[in-house]
Amino acid sequence: MIQLEKVSKSYNNRPALRDISFTAERGEFVYLTGPSGAGKSTLLRLLYRAEMPDSGRLVVSGFELATLRRSQVAEFRRRLGIVFQDFKLLRRRTVGENITFVASLLNLPEREQQRRAYTVLRQMGIPHRISAFPDELSGGEQQRVAIARALVLQPDLILADEPTGNLDAERSHELLELLKTINYQGTTVLVATHDRALIAAHPARTLFLDHGALVKDGWGSGP
Amino acid sequence: MSRHGWREVRRQLRESGAAGMVAVVLVAVTSAWGGMLWSVHRWVDMRLLDRSLATSVIAVARGAREAAKLQTELRTAYPALTPALLAPREVQEQLASWFPDLGQALLTLTPESFPYVLHIAVEPPQEPALSAWFAARPEVTLVESSRAWQRKLADTVARLTLAGTLLAGTLLVGCTLVVLLVIRLLVLAHADEIAIMRLIGAHEGEIRRPYLICGTILGFVGGAAGAGIMLAFGGLLRVAVSGFEPVTWVAAALPFVGAAATLVGAALGLAALPAEP
Repeated sequence: MIQLEKVSKSYNNRPALRDISFTAERGEFVYLTGPSGAGKSTLLRLLYRAEMPDSGRLVVSGFELATLRRSQVAEFRRRLGIVFQDFKLLRRRTVGENITFVASLLNLPEREQQRRAYTVLRQMGIPHRISAFPDELSGGEQQRVAIARALVLQPDLILADEPTGNLDAERSHELLELLKTINYQGTTVLVATHDRALIAAHPARTLFLDHGALVKDGWGSGP
Repeated sequence: MSRHGWREVRRQLRESGAAGMVAVVLVAVTSAWGGMLWSVHRWVDMRLLDRSLATSVIAVARGAREAAKLQTELRTAYPALTPALLAPREVQEQLASWFPDLGQALLTLTPESFPYVLHIAVEPPQEPALSAWFAARPEVTLVESSRAWQRKLADTVARLTLAGTLLAGTLLVGCTLVVLLVIRLLVLAHADEIAIMRLIGAHEGEIRRPYLICGTILGFVGGAAGAGIMLAFGGLLRVAVSGFEPVTWVAAALPFVGAAATLVGAALGLAALPAEP
């Protein structure tokens, strides 16, 4: 599902990632952790092709990202579900519109878009918020909408960048449970987080980054 | 385009606000100006500059004897032509009938104040040679032809048309620039949203299309308003000027011309969108 070979990235000659190599198989749940500035977000941005690596090979969901043409980027991202720390919801659209907009990208019929939106919102436990605008929701609810949006295209892979960063501890655990549930249903999940307590409470394979290098690939929250 | 796309277009139109209205008004003024210019030019072309209209040559003789001599020599040189010799009295009466307001004043003058005039109706191709023949005669003090006046009028009309077209072109470029700015402002205001749309898999076309359609609609509405203004002015002119008709196919084309100009502006405005890496 994810394959990285000697991937490096630097900004203004300051290395952000150094020779990162790892593989994540279909259906795996993987944490990406490390201190602030370790390169977690950079790695995720490379994985959803918001940036290009300086060197190395990245294959995600069967797409060779280094050679992916611009015109194929949207197609590639439709295979992913991306969840952000700041939710990145469309503020001027209702919860339902945020989700059906993504569904509309597949040119699904209107009724199918609505059905899928309702299904994922029910899965997230917030079907009653379908007509609310993002600013009317709590942080936890907004993150659930973001996950619902990520799920609506039934992706093979979910990339979550500090998804609990704006949530309290209780909501963070709930969110991790949700992501675990999604993972049990067969979706590969990669969560970038610096919250070691969360990893300890919901253990899974953990990639530990430090100063742009992958220093540990195993179970547990510490390096 | 999907329901979301059309909703986005409505939103962009609403958010274009006062700047969008300025664009619509500018397109309307430009379209109306362009349409009227075209209609007036066509009317002048058909009514005043028509080359198939009868052509007259007028020659003013120095005196009665010279006029008679000219008439005789003209019949020899151009046997097919039938010149009419107008005596001063006839010239005086003719002028008085043409200018009724001055008629009384003209008729109080002595007939000697008016010249002997030869008036010849000719086929348009004969006019240059005949005018040249008169101009070479010492008995003639002045030669004028309706074709020469048409040429002067055509020159003036061409200059005015060029100036009017330049003005219309400048206004059209102005419309394009205003829409460019409107779309650029909208794009900048929605930069975050556009970035999110990209991240969740929207194609560039899906992102750009609502902005392009918004810009095009502004131009189409402006063009349609311009067509309305043009037809209204044309109606007024039709009452005042004999034979004037606003060109209806130009009016029908104005919304599309406006839409095309603003589509270009919208496309240029979208250049503000940062590209994917």
